[in-house]
Amino acid sequence: MTTAKHAPKTSSTKPPFIKRLMAHQESGLVLVIILIALGLTLFGAVNPVETKTAIERPAGSQVILLDAQGNAHENGTIARTKIATFRVQSGDSNTDYPAETIKNYDSTTDTLYKLTTLNPFLNKSNLVLVTKDASFFAIIAVGMTGVIILAGIDLSVGSIYGLSAIIGAMALQALPADTGWIVAVPVALIVCMTVGTLCGLANGSMSVGLGVHPFVITLGMMAILRGLTVVIPQEFYGTQSIGGFPTSFTTGFFKAEFYGVYPVPVIIMILCGIVGWFVLAKTVFGRRVFAIGGNEVAAKYAGIPVGRVKILVYTITGALCGLSACAYLGYYGAAETNAGNAYELQVIAATVIGGASLMGGRGTVIGAVLGAIIIQLINNTLIIFEVDTSYNQIVMGAAIIIAVVIDQTKQRIQARKA
Amino acid sequence: MSDTTPNLIATGISKRFGNTQALDDVSVSFLPGEVHALMGENGAGKSTLGKVLAGLHAQNTGTVLLNGRELIPGSLDDAFHAGVRIVHQELAQCPNLSVAENLCLHDIPTKGITVNFAEMERRAKTLVHQLDPSIDVSKPLGFLSPGRRQICQIAASLDKNPDGSMIAKVIVLDEPTSSLSISEASVLMDIARDLASQGLSIIYVSHRMSEIFTCCDRVTILRDGKFVATNIVSEIDEPTLVEQMIGRRIETPTAKANGSKQSIETQALKAEIGTADHTPVSHSGDPRLVIRNVSSPGKLDDCSLDLYPGEVLGIGGLVGAGRSELFDAIFNIDTRAKGSVKVDGDEILGKGIRGAIDAGVGLGYVPEDRRIQGLFFNLGIDENIIAPIMNRMASSIGIRDRAAELETVRRRIGRFQIKTASLSQTTPGELSGGNQQKLLIARWMTQHTKVLLLDEPTRGIDVGTKAEIYKLIREAADSGLSILLVSSEMPELLALSDRILVMGDGQIKGELTGNEMTQTKILTLATQEKAHALI
Repeated sequence: MTTAKHAPKTSSTKPPFIKRLMAHQESGLVLVIILIALGLTLFGAVNPVETKTAIERPAGSQVILLDAQGNAHENGTIARTKIATFRVQSGDSNTDYPAETIKNYDSTTDTLYKLTTLNPFLNKSNLVLVTKDASFFAIIAVGMTGVIILAGIDLSVGSIYGLSAIIGAMALQALPADTGWIVAVPVALIVCMTVGTLCGLANGSMSVGLGVHPFVITLGMMAILRGLTVVIPQEFYGTQSIGGFPTSFTTGFFKAEFYGVYPVPVIIMILCGIVGWFVLAKTVFGRRVFAIGGNEVAAKYAGIPVGRVKILVYTITGALCGLSACAYLGYYGAAETNAGNAYELQVIAATVIGGASLMGGRGTVIGAVLGAIIIQLINNTLIIFEVDTSYNQIVMGAAIIIAVVIDQTKQRIQARKA
Repeated sequence: MSDTTPNLIATGISKRFGNTQALDDVSVSFLPGEVHALMGENGAGKSTLGKVLAGLHAQNTGTVLLNGRELIPGSLDDAFHAGVRIVHQELAQCPNLSVAENLCLHDIPTKGITVNFAEMERRAKTLVHQLDPSIDVSKPLGFLSPGRRQICQIAASLDKNPDGSMIAKVIVLDEPTSSLSISEASVLMDIARDLASQGLSIIYVSHRMSEIFTCCDRVTILRDGKFVATNIVSEIDEPTLVEQMIGRRIETPTAKANGSKQSIETQALKAEIGTADHTPVSHSGDPRLVIRNVSSPGKLDDCSLDLYPGEVLGIGGLVGAGRSELFDAIFNIDTRAKGSVKVDGDEILGKGIRGAIDAGVGLGYVPEDRRIQGLFFNLGIDENIIAPIMNRMASSIGIRDRAAELETVRRRIGRFQIKTASLSQTTPGELSGGNQQKLLIARWMTQHTKVLLLDEPTRGIDVGTKAEIYKLIREAADSGLSILLVSSEMPELLALSDRILVMGDGQIKGELTGNEMTQTKILTLATQEKAHALI
């Protein structure tokens, strides 16, 4: 029965797997991420960070300092270099720690500190931190991808995010401190996303209904909403920040700890990415977005409800700003009036690095999420290399231009092949 | 022909684009004072030759001599200054700028650091008013009719030396009338003749047979990039030219038999698509589409018509007569239209585009400009075809049914014989113009479509594909579809239509049936009252 196994392979018209993988728009982004991560890991391996952590030992145990000959010494009577072993004695059982693994022994608090070397990049809390920082604007970038594919623009996302956060914070603050997450999370989600949705709806219907370019409408909305974000807490609370949420909302949900990291915003980002990809690739609505972005006049002649689709895309983007703001509230436990300042540029940068064309008709959600991660990786690189964070903007700006030039060159080469 | 010494001589020109040999060892010479036509089917190389002569393309081999001096291959600049000018469709024009600015773009006159608008307009006027004194050069170019825009382009080549002699010696007109109405075209041909009489060589690239006999002195035929013959127009007839172009003779047995005044071209076309013995659809049942008193401010004036199942109703007229505007009104793109449009008794006017293409109504529209109004160049062939009905094939919450979509697309591509490498990977930009057009017609071949509006369905595509499209249109009608057909190609209109309505000034000027359907009749109706439709 081996004939089937050895049957000659039917010549497939599909190119080999690797080639197909490379043809994907996102492959370049993944490659960049892998390269940056590899570089940082290698650099981190050469320049590890040394940290100390307290060794947990049983109650009532004693620390005994032994020299090379095994003689016990009192703390302070023996030089650090002479100590060969730190022995933890608890009743009859002894645990020995060789001196080179011990950072120091603090006799005043009676704590023994273990020496650990850590790769500053490749450790789970740094990795989650990088993706977490990316997630807040990556969630918005999912919506912005739709806007950019439409050949539109939304400059108000940062302000929508700020306003949603402030209004959501006001609602959360009004809840009793012992409210369970089952109430607090839906309340916050509904409030934040309603504010975001309404702002997005306003953007979309004004630009479609009045026939004004979305750049102008969202520029105006950016200022109006930011103004509201500052004025509202000032009028009602006389403060720049609103905090004091039920803990079930913060550490109980959005900053819940799993295995020593706080992954909830990252999980939300991944979910948004998957849903966004599905909607753009697999639903009629998604393909209509591409059609309108590719040729708006033709879309009209093909009977596509151009205005409705556009309004919906701006509305969804607003709703995603609200969702992101809600995650921000839960993670940081407070809303600042400058929350999301200049986010619009980071969000647009993420979508553009992710391969979206400002001319419309082209872009992917997964690319935008990867773009957001690349932006945060660049930030992380500067931190790891201990470059002053003021240089962030310069590097970011250069990265955007380089990414777009590379993408366009790739397009041109592909066009020439075709 | 005032002179017999050629001023422009092309020898042994070959030009290759990738795998396509566009020109293969072509030698032609042009005389001063003649209008010399370059003819051939699409892809024969006539436009390429024009562009090589004007320095837009660099030939691979061969030389171009202007009055004995060899022009630098591929140097538009050299050809321009030596006096070879080209007027063609894709030439850069800025519709938002004034006519004067467009004409002076290469050399804007200044006064200090500001633009000298007075001088600019003076220069533009001297150029344009040689051809048409009624053109206001301060108006944005985009406000002008296509014919006048073409005139402005030609005028740009009429700059003069200080001594008053024309700099240009040769002007290449590349398909100058393809977007013009008949009366605009005749004005343009007069201009070409006039310029030739001033001693210029006019190279007239065209595929309109009638124009060759109206305004050209000699005609060079190209076929598949090769030189076939240069003929003196007065010594040759239409069938011989067609024979030279396509390499075989079209038999027209019915031309005399039915005693009509239809041209040989129309007869040949009818024979080719099998409509020579077609009898017009009877009007016994209820009409499918009933249009009553449709008006739209500035565009349409009280239009009424009936369209029966299985009928092809041709709409003739000049460009700007309101034909596309009528379609826009029926399809609810023009939201200011008033009146009544009923499909099978249901009123659709004012119900939006979605209302028009609704499954119960079943309207389809293939607009005039496939690049601007039709195709999505960022999407695959499949999504281009399925676009209007994607929602009908999807689940109730809008998730696509790929299997059903692909099956539908495959069926339509098969029926229309659209040549594409892949269904979803190929984009319309990679298809030939003919296949693009077939794609757009296929888009509306749904089981619900009852009425199809076709606006210039074969513009700018090659002869072979045209015949295919004619057959598809006729087949669709024979299977019960009602078709409104707008066309500026007379033979097409005459060969395909059961009846013909003629429009002018936004009105329906008259109806032609049976033996009345001739080019002359259509033109007479179209140009009624307002003879100067060019304005």
